[in-house]
Amino acid sequence: MSEARQLPEDELFEVEINGRTCEAREGETVFEVAARQGVEIPVLCHDTRLEPAGACRVCLVEVEGQRRLQPGCAWKVSAGMKITTESDRIEKHRRVLYGLYLADHKLDDAGLPVETANANQLRMLAEKTPPLQLEAVEAPRRGRPEDENPYIKFDPELCILCARCTRYCDEIEAVNAITLAWRGSETTISTAGERGLLDTSCELCGGCIDTCPTGALIEKKAPQILPAHAEKVRSTCNFCGVGCQLDLHVVDGKVAKVTSPPVGETVNDGNLCVKGRFAYDFVHHEDRLTEPLIRREDGELHPASWEEAIEVAAKGLLGVKERHGSDAMGFVSSSRCTVEENYLMQKLSRTAFRTNNIHQCAAT
Amino acid sequence: MTNSIDEIRDTEMMFVIGSNTSEAHPIIAMEMKKAVGRGSRLIVADPRAIWMAGIAEKHMQLHPGTDVWLLNAMAHVIVTEDLVDHDFIAAHTERFEEYRESVLSYTPEEAEKITGVPAQDIRDVARLYATTEKAGIYYTLGITEHTHGTDNVYALANLVLMTGHLGKPSAGMNPLRGQNNVQGANDAGATPVFYPGYQNVTDPAVRKKFEQAWGVELDPNDGLNLNVMMKELAKGKIKGMYVMGEDIVISEPNVSQIEKGLNQIEFLVCQEIFHNLTTQYADVVFPSSCFAEKDGVFTNSDRRVQRVRKAVDPPGNAREDWRILADMARACGYPMPHYENPGEIYDEMAALTPKVAGISHERLDERPRGLQWPCTDSDHEGTPTLHQDGPIVGKAGFQPVAYRPSDEMPDDEYPLVLSTGRTLYHYNAATQTRRSAGPVAKQARNFIEIHRKDAGKLGISDGETVRVSSRRGSVEAMAMVSPRPRRGCVWMPMHFAESRANELTNDAGDPITQTAEYKVCAVRVEALTPEPVG
Repeated sequence: MSEARQLPEDELFEVEINGRTCEAREGETVFEVAARQGVEIPVLCHDTRLEPAGACRVCLVEVEGQRRLQPGCAWKVSAGMKITTESDRIEKHRRVLYGLYLADHKLDDAGLPVETANANQLRMLAEKTPPLQLEAVEAPRRGRPEDENPYIKFDPELCILCARCTRYCDEIEAVNAITLAWRGSETTISTAGERGLLDTSCELCGGCIDTCPTGALIEKKAPQILPAHAEKVRSTCNFCGVGCQLDLHVVDGKVAKVTSPPVGETVNDGNLCVKGRFAYDFVHHEDRLTEPLIRREDGELHPASWEEAIEVAAKGLLGVKERHGSDAMGFVSSSRCTVEENYLMQKLSRTAFRTNNIHQCAAT
Repeated sequence: MTNSIDEIRDTEMMFVIGSNTSEAHPIIAMEMKKAVGRGSRLIVADPRAIWMAGIAEKHMQLHPGTDVWLLNAMAHVIVTEDLVDHDFIAAHTERFEEYRESVLSYTPEEAEKITGVPAQDIRDVARLYATTEKAGIYYTLGITEHTHGTDNVYALANLVLMTGHLGKPSAGMNPLRGQNNVQGANDAGATPVFYPGYQNVTDPAVRKKFEQAWGVELDPNDGLNLNVMMKELAKGKIKGMYVMGEDIVISEPNVSQIEKGLNQIEFLVCQEIFHNLTTQYADVVFPSSCFAEKDGVFTNSDRRVQRVRKAVDPPGNAREDWRILADMARACGYPMPHYENPGEIYDEMAALTPKVAGISHERLDERPRGLQWPCTDSDHEGTPTLHQDGPIVGKAGFQPVAYRPSDEMPDDEYPLVLSTGRTLYHYNAATQTRRSAGPVAKQARNFIEIHRKDAGKLGISDGETVRVSSRRGSVEAMAMVSPRPRRGCVWMPMHFAESRANELTNDAGDPITQTAEYKVCAVRVEALTPEPVG
């Protein structure tokens, strides 16, 4: 939904990014203009769905005339502004900054931030720009291990306090279930009274997991990194009428996880609700019907072959038509099924049974 | 929707009526929340103090079923203060004078007496709506599930036309469809009066086209609407049914009558992914596939056709519904083609359906945002905003509507008004959502929202199990003493098979659509172990 819009000519002015002149408009940030030019400024705390916070300092850039480096995600451009996004000064800043983050982060044997199911972006940044080696510190940041909600888990050792999750919960989902709590080195992500999410205003949308850049927030249902042979299948959610796009992650023939396509790409703009993201357990549920069933003389339904089930069903319905005519037939199609299937159901009723007594379940 | 979901964020005013958006359409609600954050003005008209009402500038908490009064009174303000869009009315509409006359008696002061909404609020909202350029109306089943649902929709359409809020971005008339593919099922002709693409079954030229394409003679008369079909079933006149993907015994109103009909039906075929209350009556049950197990398309609320893709195989011997339907048609003597894949089925439909003639699986696969119909040829990029060149055909006629009370009003025996609906955590018959831990943790059992004063009078406390009865049936549910309902009104979700709201609901239908009055029926609520009061 955040497709680049045509800018009215009269509102445009020029700025310079890394020596290249480009067009910009009042109110835009350095990050936005740079992104349009294909210039990538690293970020951790920034999500284009949210108001810029300028919290993580990863996106600092040089702005001519400014003594200090400035956050590209929040700094607004003005006419003639000259911006540099890569320099020795910025590189040095990043090394120190990443070193500080790593001193307070769960690291692997190679001394890099551990990989997580969310694809740890701090790890990716540290791989690109070697961090300054600093002595590890133990921040007394608390989690809420007793939280019994079935979906969302918080690991304080992976949290960088960028507050994307709490801002998402406030600005997008607008339920304010999670918040920054405590002060100083104890600062953590928590809830009012440190309650479990089920006892808060949380609606279990999982947007906090989606926006978390490190994997401090992960899915309890799918906490592990998916194997390399996992497939990603883009589809449309089967619940309400919004038409959110989903990425179904398939491992060994099973849906292992559902995520939203990237921000800006589809109608749901990176968002999902509790049903779309988490309520897919039914797909592989043991109660699924797996065999055609025919009611036999004992009055019970018994498994049968497809051939027999189709034959018995066809004979049964045709018999009713022969005895009582087409007006005694009723066909109920489904708004849960695809367009193609609805087309076939109405075609079946209209051709084989010559009746317009066909409707779909959402009709009343 | 005449407009698109992604236009909501740029809207200047939203009039949300009969839509519990944050629960029924959470992601559309996110767009609305974003719009409010950007300064868009939100007005919510709903008998309940729903979540969206909490962030609205004004909540018009009308009595259930009094929508026509509220909307006609808004129209009254707009015509008497001459806030109408004269140019739009002249260019694109007809019968305005007749309509204008019809709303003159609907004064805000009288409306206040009937709807319970203060006259000043009605005036303020009417002025705001009429004078805001990008003002959109958003509604759902709170408007349509009444015996005067069609009147409600006409009343809204009249407001849109008189103010010219049509054919412009971030405005329009926007019904939010309740299910993933309601729009698509209707588009595909799963309706008793239309072939695919809203082509009338009673139009001889249209019928001839389909007869030629399908190679058989077709029924020249309108078929039975689902609500009527259910009533005919109860009377024993429908004797054979094929039901795909619906649990009619939980979803349709006044279910005890439907159960009576199913007990005497001669032959019933069900096509389902789980057993449900309806499969208990089936003679044959076909195990079918869920959305993750098949290819095809769904069409969402803003007419957006999007791909559904097979990610996993159906379990055991279950099959894709489209394969089952094609096999069944052939077994019933109709030579249904041997389709290789649903793309071929879509192509067959598109060739007969001008509205979607330009849509194919191939084109959709290249477009992550799908295509919005009308999309009339393979160069067409779809239509995000309808009616940009005025009404599609001719001029739009105003439809004067007069208030009619709901079919069943409260009385001494059944003193409370029950409305039913969906919650965020469950979905319809809940065969899917009740198999997930989160929805169950949030809402394990059926409940009924009741005002604290009504609860107090009845000696009912929060969390206690109560009996809810109407003229048609009786269920038990947990009392939820809540600030949401109006006094005298209660609300219950429809999701729970062991405590079916539709035992209670009234199957009286709208005279035109036959849509049942799920939103208003009279009930009595009693404590299970009555304590002496006062």
